[in-house]
Amino acid sequence: MMDSAEKSFKKVERDLLASVNWGVKSKVWMGFLLLLLVVCLFYYVKQLRNGLGVTGLNDIVSWGVYISNFVFFVAASLIGMLISSVLGLIGFKWITPILRIAEIIAVSFAMVAGLIIITDMGRPERLLNVFIFGRIQSPIIWDIVVVMTYVVISLLLLYVPLIPDIALCKDKKKGVPAFQRWIYKVLSLGFTYKPNQFKLVEKYIRILAVLIIPVALAIHTVTSWLFAMTLRAGWDTSIFGPYFVSGAFVAGCAAVIIAMYFFRKSYNLQDYITDSHFNKMGKLLVMVALIYVYFNINELLVAAYKLKSGEAEHLQSILWGHGSPMFWLVQIGGLVIPFVLLIIPKMRKPLPSLIISIVILVAAWYKRYVIVIPVQEHPFLPVQNVPDYYSHYTPTLPEIAITIAPFILVLIIMTVLSKVFPVVSVWEAKESSVEEQNR
Amino acid sequence: MPKFIYIIFGLMTCFWSAFAQEWKAPEEEKENVSIRLFDNEIETEGGVLFMNSCKSCHGSPTQEDFSLMLPSPGDLASAKVQNQTDGELFYKIRAGKGAMPKFGDALDQNEIWSLIAYVRSFNESYKQPEPNLEGVVIPNITLNLSFDDNVDKLVVKTLDENGNPMPDVTVKAFVKGHFGNYLLGKSRCNELGIAYFDIDSKMPGDEEGNMDIIVKASKGFGSAKVTQKMRVVDAVSFKSAIEGRHLWSVSKRAPYWLIVTFLSSLIGIWGTIIYVIVGLPKIKKQS
Ligand code: HEC
Repeated sequence: MMDSAEKSFKKVERDLLASVNWGVKSKVWMGFLLLLLVVCLFYYVKQLRNGLGVTGLNDIVSWGVYISNFVFFVAASLIGMLISSVLGLIGFKWITPILRIAEIIAVSFAMVAGLIIITDMGRPERLLNVFIFGRIQSPIIWDIVVVMTYVVISLLLLYVPLIPDIALCKDKKKGVPAFQRWIYKVLSLGFTYKPNQFKLVEKYIRILAVLIIPVALAIHTVTSWLFAMTLRAGWDTSIFGPYFVSGAFVAGCAAVIIAMYFFRKSYNLQDYITDSHFNKMGKLLVMVALIYVYFNINELLVAAYKLKSGEAEHLQSILWGHGSPMFWLVQIGGLVIPFVLLIIPKMRKPLPSLIISIVILVAAWYKRYVIVIPVQEHPFLPVQNVPDYYSHYTPTLPEIAITIAPFILVLIIMTVLSKVFPVVSVWEAKESSVEEQNR
Repeated sequence: MPKFIYIIFGLMTCFWSAFAQEWKAPEEEKENVSIRLFDNEIETEGGVLFMNSCKSCHGSPTQEDFSLMLPSPGDLASAKVQNQTDGELFYKIRAGKGAMPKFGDALDQNEIWSLIAYVRSFNESYKQPEPNLEGVVIPNITLNLSFDDNVDKLVVKTLDENGNPMPDVTVKAFVKGHFGNYLLGKSRCNELGIAYFDIDSKMPGDEEGNMDIIVKASKGFGSAKVTQKMRVVDAVSFKSAIEGRHLWSVSKRAPYWLIVTFLSSLIGIWGTIIYVIVGLPKIKKQS
């Protein structure tokens, strides 16, 4: 009995630590990402030199793809909270192998979201002024505070469960560069697998898991308030908070499924991330998508029923005006059809669910675009004495490059984290293998 | 059949009015002239009246944007109108005809002259005829304003040069505003030479309740105008829009509830974070 447990422990360790190394493939992949990043940085330098004039932003549409990208990133990062704390606290055991993936996604998207805001500033060197002269009455200040708080808690929620695994890496991974060994040594905090230490780790995980729920809800609710608290037809709705949060879960679930697929494939984790995980994540995605569809109907129908003058102009432009093709493509093609497909069990197998998730994630990005931009084309005050092209917005090439950069950064962070630490928690995998054998 | 009759009838009235004989002023009124000089003040006065009473049909002079009707109201800057004498125009505005309303009841003499002054200002070759003042008595009107705070009324007394009350004077009272004057009313003095105007004590004056009151009076060819600062309304205490604690104020004036909520959530959450971070090194001690 003990013997077989010992054996399966060995296998778990071998399987899960195998990915912790810098192979040729991963070096090539990192090189490719860095190269892309440099290209994008070139455009950012251009923007720093010439100001926001290099973008398509103007007096009328002053929030463009940077802001919609920011909303998307904040949204994607919310999934860490849903999976690792809500589902975890309820006691779902199946999430154990994908916990860390969800946390890695949360950390990398949240960290980069903060940077995106800076790219939307014409004079980023004046960033400090936001803190010196900021008013606590402004949702922008709340947003900054809550994003920073969320990043810190997410980092801790990634780090604390990692401590036993870092200690394991320190013991088992002697071949890694000296710097990496030093990192293991510092970060393992002298962990020696004592039961008391596990108890402490579990206690802190529980505290953080509870703490992150209000903060995560706050981060996306406040992000929605950046819109809902301004006087604009189309944003002026009380459902915006929950609407954003539910939309965030849709994007996040899709992101997790995509990450699960690629980690499983390239790190050979078929024994840990099984078809059943895809099945369950698919069901979760259907559930959050249903909530989101419900909020969408609520958000649109209440306004469309009354058709207040400003609202009417905005609605007519997104429902059947010049913004309508993107709107309907996103709503029907990117939300309704995919979630209906996911109801079919066969579609929740790894490959189909990967494809569906990619469609959902791309649509989720465009959905943020539809939320942010068309509203500004119909302000309450009439647009007067400006050239016609002012009231239409098209992102420019530098702007698109600077919008792609955050995605590259996220991939870099995810790659580094997954190369330095095991992507599936080793000690928790061991625990569940013990539980399985005892059954 | 009846329809057909209506059409014939309609067409007939149209033709009849279109070809009706020209509109002529009686000879004795043709040579009437204004005794007031057509200066800038009277022209702007007329311009305002024109906007309110005439523009809807005649359009803006020289713009040819009069409404379509039969007979046509026409542009008042056109040669057809400008070739007429001041007296003829005065008569037509006063008496009206068909669709042209009779303004004699609604406007007093001075007002009609101011309209003519305005209409003439579009004619560069126009020279105002000298009034023949022989035998004309121009009354000298003195105005005396007071405020009756028992009934909230502005009391205007009109006196002649000897200080005796002058009855039958047309009096208009205004409150001076930032962008033009607000008409309090228009009235005619009684036999004691007194006219009353209601004043709403809620009108916004200054911190002491003062307002600039303008009174204009006219009788025959005589006219008078006074502007006087009077305490006629409730005192207003002016408040800055950002006084007190508001969401829209500067940071120092944030509402207490916001500061409390914001700081307590911040302290609560960061307190917990710090508790965890400080507690982590305990792991080492346990080994
Ligand atoms: C309801 C429309 C209407 C309004 C308001 C109106 N008018 Fe007229 N006016 C007419 C019409 C119609 C005629 C042509 C009457 C006719 O020729 O039988 C006319 C004719 C005139 C004429 C004579 C034009 C000529 O060719 O001899 C004068 C002068 C005139 N209006 C001045 C005024 C002034 C000044 C006002 C404003 C106080 C005014 N009107 C307001 C409709 C209007």
